Amino acid sequence: MSTVEVLTALQNSVLGHAIGKSDHLVGATAQIFHVLGFVILLASVVLINLRLAGVALTAQSIPQFTRDPSRLIWVGLASAVISGILMFVSAPLLYFANPAFITKIWLLLAAVIVQVTLYRHVISRDSVNPWLNRASIVFSLFLWFGVGVTGRAIGYI
Amino acid sequence: MSFIHELAQGLQASSVGVALAESAYAFPLIEALHLIGLSVSVGLIFLIDLRLIGVFLKNVPVTDLLHQLRPLVLGGFALIFLSGTLLFWSEAATIITSPALPFKFLFIAIGGVNALYFELKLAKQRPVIENQPVLPANVRYAGIASLFSWSVVIIAGRLIPYLPS
Repeated sequence: MSTVEVLTALQNSVLGHAIGKSDHLVGATAQIFHVLGFVILLASVVLINLRLAGVALTAQSIPQFTRDPSRLIWVGLASAVISGILMFVSAPLLYFANPAFITKIWLLLAAVIVQVTLYRHVISRDSVNPWLNRASIVFSLFLWFGVGVTGRAIGYI
Repeated sequence: MSFIHELAQGLQASSVGVALAESAYAFPLIEALHLIGLSVSVGLIFLIDLRLIGVFLKNVPVTDLLHQLRPLVLGGFALIFLSGTLLFWSEAATIITSPALPFKFLFIAIGGVNALYFELKLAKQRPVIENQPVLPANVRYAGIASLFSWSVVIIAGRLIPYLPS
């Protein structure tokens, strides 16, 4: 089965039809959970990076301070991904043909990979190689904000 | 009311309004800046609210969060205000007819007054300044009120294109 066939089947599935044909306020509700989840995620990313950069909230050690916000990243991501899947299922062919959407998904994958590898390593210990520290700040800010910016562009491209 | 409509139409028809609306990149770019400003300012406020409610970063003094995040929160607000003005400029006549818009403005005002009251009154209480483990109930209520009003702002904002007149 080609990708397009899979997507067509998805679009014609019960769930795809149900969402696609529902009132536009159902789509708006998914959008709201998408935005709120992403705002929580980005704010947590900013907070952790401020601590990693040593510019704010340095009274606690890095592992102590980052425990709560790094959990919140996953809460925000869950809200954004679940609502995002519902939005995607209603028109998968449309999204799949959108270059902003494709870019967003690649950035998202990269952001999650950096989050569970490099970032997890850096926030779990008190001091790491300063270059590793800087790299994780730059990568996480660029990738997560990149996901937001390209996501916002989907409707305009 | 018709005066406001005329004003909005005039704004949208002005050279800046037309230039923004007709540019392929300007509008999504400004939308992106609006989202970034929102995530930094309202997003950090959400995190501070969770701290005030007592469910997040319990070991970090409230005053540390308030003081050290303030420049970013205010900077983010400046960015939202600027980008929001430009977005409004390019779509004023359409946006003004959405019933979600007055809601958004109302709850920005409520969130702002709540934040001011917190800063000028509640944050000056002894248990907050001395970073005592148990904070007064009014601090928690202010956190809940803030979380609620800024959420409504985001929800109403997102509903603007979905709720035309």
